[in-house]
This record gives sequence, structure tokens and C-alpha cells, in this order.
Amino acid sequence: MNDLINDLYQEIILDHGREPRNFGECEPHNKSADGHNPLCGDNLKLTFLLNDQNIIEDIKFTGEGCAISLASASLMTEKLKGKKIEVAEEIFKDFTNLVSGSDEDLKVLNEEDSLYALKGVGGFPMRVKCATMAWHAFNQALKD
Amino acid sequence: MDNSKTLNLNVRKDFPILSKKILEKKDLIYFDTAASAQKPNTVINETNDFYKNHYSNVSRGVHTLSVESTFRYEDARKKVQKFLNARSENEIIFTKSATEGINLVAQTFYEKFMQKGDEVILSLIEHHSNLIPWFFLRDKYGVVLKFANIQTSGEIDIDHFNSLFTNKTKIVSLTHLSNVFGTELNEKAISICKDKNIPILLDGCQSAAHLKIDVQKLGCDFFVFSGHKTYGPAGIGVLYGTENLLSEMPPYQGGGGMIGDVSLEGASYAELPAKYEAGTPPLVEAHGLGIAIDYMNKIGFDNIIEHENEITKYAFNKLNEIDFIEIHGGDNKRNSIISFNIKNVHSHEVSSFLDVEGIAIRAGHHCCQPLMKHLGVNSTARLSFGVYNSLEEVDKFVIALHKCKEFFNK
Repeated sequence: MNDLINDLYQEIILDHGREPRNFGECEPHNKSADGHNPLCGDNLKLTFLLNDQNIIEDIKFTGEGCAISLASASLMTEKLKGKKIEVAEEIFKDFTNLVSGSDEDLKVLNEEDSLYALKGVGGFPMRVKCATMAWHAFNQALKD
Repeated sequence: MDNSKTLNLNVRKDFPILSKKILEKKDLIYFDTAASAQKPNTVINETNDFYKNHYSNVSRGVHTLSVESTFRYEDARKKVQKFLNARSENEIIFTKSATEGINLVAQTFYEKFMQKGDEVILSLIEHHSNLIPWFFLRDKYGVVLKFANIQTSGEIDIDHFNSLFTNKTKIVSLTHLSNVFGTELNEKAISICKDKNIPILLDGCQSAAHLKIDVQKLGCDFFVFSGHKTYGPAGIGVLYGTENLLSEMPPYQGGGGMIGDVSLEGASYAELPAKYEAGTPPLVEAHGLGIAIDYMNKIGFDNIIEHENEITKYAFNKLNEIDFIEIHGGDNKRNSIISFNIKNVHSHEVSSFLDVEGIAIRAGHHCCQPLMKHLGVNSTARLSFGVYNSLEEVDKFVIALHKCKEFFNK
């Protein structure tokens, strides 16, 4: 099998694509945003609860999409749960660099992270938007 | 190959891009002609030659280059007129795209013939480019839009379509060939419009390179298509309109080239077709489109249609045999387009997987989100064929589909 395809669809991606974690709506929540990829119609709704210490207490998503977008959203919720907002923002920046094939050094993510499995998206420029949809929704929710 | 008949137009050599290797080793199999067709050498070389040897602005200067450019631009119009069998060159308006043609008609037809509460009939299978220009009329002016249902075959439900007409119906706009199903518009839809004396616009983006178009025989009032889907350059489109309607409707954009006489108090407008061509037009692209039309004519539309029907039927039968494939639309006659899904695999995955096999197909909503909603899917994968495709390519594609299914359901 082609290396590019194996890099893109690592087992963890296929697994999270098939069975996304933290799928649903966070109740209660105080932050939410919709993600949408107008090019293909994939969409998601992200909800999370930010407590008074700026820690993400719970985070969930619903939506429909390809394996990359679902796995990315699923891995994102796993990674961000329990994180302080400042740390989450750093992870967002790192992740965006990781999947867009940017040479910029990663500050908080490393090869041990499950999110690193999405690095293969860099070989498919048209799929970067699939991988970042949930993250942009997260970023949007912070701004709102 | 298990097919005794293999019609080959022997045109692959005309398309330099088809010798490109994908990821350095895979032969390119281009099944995305419905999104945009590849360009033959004649189009590439002739547009190059225009820039190298003849280029200037059109219809403005009197010098040699201006004459040469103008000749090529207007010659392209003649070719388009013959291509569509329009009555006169005055009925051929060059636009930047088919989309612009629809916007032009929506805006100027409204201005001349419609008011708040008047109705436009469209259908569920329309491309966004034949929806949004009409949405603008609804949002800005209170025009009412009605949508004909489709049958499971992918064809418009003619009875429902017929029932949508009222004494407020002013115009109908429908796709001539569905970019999702490949189904051709039932001629009855046009004859219903004729009987009721309601103008009809046909979106010919998918039909112009795959069917022999005769606007007089069709009986449509407007017809749009784009250069890039007919083996010509992007950035050029065509609007055909009957001289009567185009004469009565007001200009679309104002600017150079579309005027009769201008003073600070006002202006008169140029005669057709210049009236609708404000600004310097995509002149080289128009020439390129003319060359593309020559190219299609040289192959011959009878041959094109026979070849594409054969390959479409072959692919349909192959896909239909596979239990994990769901084909959208019925098993009726399709022209050059098949939309499908692999069960439980998103079309993005299918497209990315096939990409590394060298196979280019489209995945997504195909600019038909209302139709996707109706089909109950988020997106589909789409195969579409052109003159350069072969049955062997379909066989390779089918093998790749099996590998894809295996990979994602392991």
C-alpha cells in the first residue's frame, strides 16, 4: 500500500473516524461554535464548558464528515479536556503548523502525542481544511 | 478487458497533461472532466500564438494588431454561433463564465420584465450557479422561487414541474444535463414552457461538450455554457439569448465597449452583442474556445457521443455489479457522469485514496447542496468522462475501488 495513504490514514485516525470520542453535546456549556467546510459540506458543532479557572472542564462535538475531520475533532477533544485555555491556544497553533506542513518548531506538541498522527495530512494539501475544521471552531468559540 | 467493443477516439496524444505521472509513477486517469476538461495541444498552442504574435485590445484601435485581435475574437463568436446553431452572432454574448451568464439574465430580465411577487421556476438538481443568482432576486426584490421535485431516476418530475406554473410565472431556469446524475433534461419541460409562452434558460455547462447542441431545435430562450468544460480556457463563458429578449433587456454592466455615445448627461448603448460586453473581454480565452470548438467538431459529435455513451454504460454496469457501491440516480440513460458512494466510506477518503493511484475524481457536494440534502447524503464521489478516457481506465478504477473498500473496512 502506498506510504502516503498509510501516513494519512494511520490506525488511530481510522479508529477515531469510525468511533469518534466525546461525540455529543456538552451540558451545561458556556462556549460553542459551528465548523463548516463550504467546499465539501462537512460540518460540526463544538460545545465546551470553561470554568472560572479558565480550564476546559468538558468538551464535545457533533457533526458529519470524513474520517480526517471526525478523527481530528475527536482527538482534539481528548487533548483539550482539562487544559488551561492558554495551553489550549498553544496546542491550536502547533496543530495548525503540524498539519499544514509548516517548518515552524512545535512548542507543546511532540511525536508522542496522538495528534501527531494527523501530520500525514500535510501530504494532501486539499485535506488540511478537513483536519483543521474542528480547531477553527474551537478558536472561533474562544473569540465569541 | 471483458468487452469486445472498444471504441477509441485515439485523442490521448492531443492532451499533453495526460502523460503526466502522478506521484512520479502512476499514469494519470482523469475522471473529472465535469469539473473542468483538459486542454488539447491546439488550444494551448493557439492561445500562446495569440499572445506571441497577434495580441492587442479588441474593437478599439485601428492598427494591425488591433485588427488581428478583433478578427480572432469575432471569429470565435462565429464559431460559437454555428456550434449552438444560433440564428445570428448578435445572440452570442461572451461572458467570463456560465455563472456570469446566469447572473446577467437574472438581473436584466428582472429589471425589464418582473416585479415583486413574480415567480421563477427552478429545480432541486440545480447547481448553485443556477440557484444563487435567483436567490438574489428573492432576497432583494421579493421574487418567489419554486422548485420542481426530482424522481429517483434523477429526472425532473414533469407533472410537479407543470403544476408550479401560475399567472405570475415569468421565467424558468433548468440544467440541461445534471452535473450529479448525468441525466438529460426531459424535452417536455421545454415544450411546457413554450406552450405557456414562458422563457426558459438552459444551463448547458455539462451538455455543451457532450451533446450536439441546437438552440433552435431545443427551443430554449437562453443557453449558457463555459469554455473550460468544453476543452477551452477558463475565464470565458457564453450566453446565448434570443435577439428579441436580449434587445429588450437592459445592459448588465456599464463600461467601455458597450456604449453608443456618451456625454456627461448620459449615454446610449451599443447594439448587440457589444451591449452586454462592458470592458475589455477575455479575448484570448474566446479565441481559445473557438479553437476548442474546432477540435470537438474535428472529432465529430456523433463520435464523441458514441464514445462517451459506451464508456458511461460500461462504467455504470461495472459499478452496478459491486455490492458495496451505491449509485445515485436510476439506471436510465446517463451522459458522461456517474455519482456514487462506497457504503460507510466518506467520498473524501475515496478521492484521496484514488489520487495516490493516479485517478482524479471529484468528491463533495458538487455545488448542489440542496440536492445532497434531498438524497440524504453529505457528499458523493463523482466519475465524469471526456473524449480522452478509455474502458481500460475504468477497469483500473474498479480495481482501485476494491482496494479502497478493503483499506477502509479492514
